[in-house]
Amino acid sequence: MSIMEYNGGSVIAMVGKDCVAIASDLRLGSQALGISSNFQRIFPVTDRVYVGLPGLATDVTTLRERFRYRVNMYTIKEEREIEPETFAHLVSSTLYQHRFGPYFIEPVMAGLSKTPSGGFKPFIAATDLIGCLNFAKDFVVAGTASAKLFGVAEGLWEPDLEAEDLFETISQTLLNAVDRDAYSGWGAIVHVITKDKIITRTLKGRMD
Amino acid sequence: MARRYDSRTTIFSPEGRLYQIEYAMEAISHAGTVLGVLAKDGVVLAAEKRVTGKLLDLSSAKEGGGYGGSGEKMFLLNSNVIGGVAGITSDANSLVNYARTVAQQHLLQYNDDIPVELLAQRLCDMKQGYTQFGGLRPFGVSLLYAGYDPHYHFQLYHSDPSGNYSGWKATCIGANNGTAQSLLKQEYKDDLGVEEAIGLVLRVMSKTMDSTTLGSEKLEFAVLTYDEAAKAPKAKIYKPAEIDALLRAEGLAKKDEDTEMK
Amino acid sequence: METSFALTGKGYVIVAADTTAIRSIVKMQIDQDKIKELSPHLLMAYSGEPGDTVQFAEYVERNIRLYQIRNLYPLRPAAAASWIRRSIAETLRTRNAYSVNLLLGGYDTSSHTPNLYWIDYMGTVVEVPFAAHGYGSYFALSLLDRYHDPEASLEEGLATLKRCIDEVSKRLVVDPGKYKVKVVDKDGIREVEI
Repeated sequence: MSIMEYNGGSVIAMVGKDCVAIASDLRLGSQALGISSNFQRIFPVTDRVYVGLPGLATDVTTLRERFRYRVNMYTIKEEREIEPETFAHLVSSTLYQHRFGPYFIEPVMAGLSKTPSGGFKPFIAATDLIGCLNFAKDFVVAGTASAKLFGVAEGLWEPDLEAEDLFETISQTLLNAVDRDAYSGWGAIVHVITKDKIITRTLKGRMD
Repeated sequence: MARRYDSRTTIFSPEGRLYQIEYAMEAISHAGTVLGVLAKDGVVLAAEKRVTGKLLDLSSAKEGGGYGGSGEKMFLLNSNVIGGVAGITSDANSLVNYARTVAQQHLLQYNDDIPVELLAQRLCDMKQGYTQFGGLRPFGVSLLYAGYDPHYHFQLYHSDPSGNYSGWKATCIGANNGTAQSLLKQEYKDDLGVEEAIGLVLRVMSKTMDSTTLGSEKLEFAVLTYDEAAKAPKAKIYKPAEIDALLRAEGLAKKDEDTEMK
Repeated sequence: METSFALTGKGYVIVAADTTAIRSIVKMQIDQDKIKELSPHLLMAYSGEPGDTVQFAEYVERNIRLYQIRNLYPLRPAAAASWIRRSIAETLRTRNAYSVNLLLGGYDTSSHTPNLYWIDYMGTVVEVPFAAHGYGSYFALSLLDRYHDPEASLEEGLATLKRCIDEVSKRLVVDPGKYKVKVVDKDGIREVEI
């Protein structure tokens, strides 16, 4: 039994046309025993950057609080919001600092980064538990159902999906992948980030 | 007679005074005024800038990401507290940085915004340390803290180099604070709304500031209110353009004048 | 292994814990109170490594009280949960890690709502409508899934709790026997007989 699988949970992020989506399940377990069907593991960093933290639940909370601290200090001093790429590097360096005693989390990030012309470019990234960054162009997955998520995402994803289509795609990917995983599921939540707003929806899934 | 007892913070004088602290307060009395007024639905802060000039690069203040101010007198300490500083600017920057760290530490421990009085206390505990241990000189800064927390709602505190703090309905630090304080005593009423408080602050500033007319090059302004929709305190440090608009609305703007400040 | 339950209802939280202190095959004590009263509106049931439990529970109790004395008002349940969690999480990767599981039940006097937090020895915190620790949880949680009502009156809540206790007595090899049951609501903390 790996410590990464103790609490369960999975996260996925996908790129669309001028939008990104990030989704996760809501299960918190103690190995096979389910404890809560309302455990949030995706958190807003700014209006345009979200981070998903699958893995050991205590580290989910610890990392979320540490990132909030560092991003608040950044925002107050820089007098501007942090960009997704910068945040990704912040995550990576924070994790590497604990290279020989790591946090048991594999973060997934999604956001919209500002281009020099003033527009927005979709951005997703993921790291492993010691901070190795992966800047994918299509989707990133992590958690106990990551292998299943890879499979379904590879099949369903296509480039340039509009916000509503991206929502459908990521929802179906997540729901079907976690149904095959014993440690993920018990509800799901999806956030679609566009330049004007963020749409958050809770999905109705199998509660077994 | 004072000379033999004033070079170290760690000793009292025979009359029982700590001269270094008094000298620090003297330094502050030469700094730009900072004025604060507590209203029933908000707190208002205004400050006179001393570092001005045509060649000063204020582009970040004009375009800034919503935090306003030129970073000389007004600082956002946490999402629920604005600090106004008077005294030695570099000491002030160090204290502001400390305050911001303390507020985030509290958030990390309690998952809650730091209560305003607690933030003032932490800073004061640190300032007091510099009057008793280590032989280092005290911070030459007085601060006004304008903040909101769910327990005591809107609050205004003042702390000085000795590490002492107190809560106020209206107060003033820096140059001409005596004049401003007596003006505030006459004109302050309990139950002021934020709009009236803004007017009061600007009127008192215009009478106590060294320069003849008010304008955004000499004035920094901030207001802390509570956003009912978001259910969270809202801290706003005004950008130069917003200050000018406010002054025009209050009828205190300077008439079209000689010196181009662009 | 020590069993504890807790559930929320309309304006209250019930926290129950067994009262036995067991070492190997011997019941050393049968009237131990494993529910600490951290503040006028905050209860904490603890279980886990003997020694660590009482040490940590008293450490928490004293620090929460210190905060209250220093700052004139008590910590709200959410802030207390956060502080407790941080104390556990910070020592987790050191030699002084505490192996204690907690159920934190409180009444938030500013928002007038009951709050219940499930906290494990690693510092996992989750707010739940009902919770349990120990072997008894394997029996109680499913019963609570079925019979718990967040708007139930205190009598109904106590009846649901009794179901859990009876099930554990019936099916768990080491029947704890007696339970201490405490209730926290807007009027504070009181003990009830089940």
